[in-house]
Amino acid sequence: MIWPAILGSAAATYLVRSLPFVIGFRGHLPGAASRYLEALPVAIIAALVGPAVVAPAGALTRGAEPLAAALVVAVVAWRRSLLAGVIVGVVAVALLRII
Amino acid sequence: MSLLVFAGASQFAMVQLFSDQAPTAIVVASVLFINLRHLLMATSLRAELRRLPIGGRLFAAFFLTDESFAMATGHFRRGGRSLAYYFTFAISLYVVWNLATLAGIVIGSAIGDPRRLGVDFAITATFTGIVVLAIRRPGDAVIALVAALIAGSFALAGASTVAVITAGALAPLIAVFVRR
Repeated sequence: MIWPAILGSAAATYLVRSLPFVIGFRGHLPGAASRYLEALPVAIIAALVGPAVVAPAGALTRGAEPLAAALVVAVVAWRRSLLAGVIVGVVAVALLRII
Repeated sequence: MSLLVFAGASQFAMVQLFSDQAPTAIVVASVLFINLRHLLMATSLRAELRRLPIGGRLFAAFFLTDESFAMATGHFRRGGRSLAYYFTFAISLYVVWNLATLAGIVIGSAIGDPRRLGVDFAITATFTGIVVLAIRRPGDAVIALVAALIAGSFALAGASTVAVITAGALAPLIAVFVRR
């Protein structure tokens, strides 16, 4: 019961990851399509952040995550350092959750 | 399971579904749905990975996760060209993920709630930072904010499986319709 589901899930996971690499097209993209693709990566990563900030673990945030995320934005924009942002973010969220 | 289905959110969903005795088709369909967002990610990485032969691309695809996508995108947006960066990060992640899974099986019950330490927020903070570093024009910030808000709203409405794919597909439309 479990193994067919695991193998099926493995196939499904691999399918969506590999399909765009296999079906390629030649020639130039129209301007609108290339603007779309250019905006895609940032939009997807931001879309991963949204739920984790407003609804961590599936329940409405009590404020710690949005505040910490705002702090991360400020620190990274200021210092241009990912590591500094992550450290500040983790410490901030741990402290804010206690309050 | 971790060795074959290298996909965090899907694995958590699968564990939940297994404990609910869900039928195989439901499990596979859920996983497919959760991972649809990787269709978008692979599409966006295609321009860079085109340099690889087909075998290399198929190998790269197995290790494509939110994290490796985010790190690779950050690298390329900063002007990096190295595909070794992607492979090193993605494969290390696979090894560490599976070692950690093994550790979890062995000593998992001894650890309390990780949320207490804020460690769960590290990935969110990393992604937030990558978005900030990747923003090059005011338009990028608008798109990122809209994407985060759409995905957040979907998650709050209980539709977290489709939140990322919907927001990720919709927000870039701004770039199509608004000329800079």
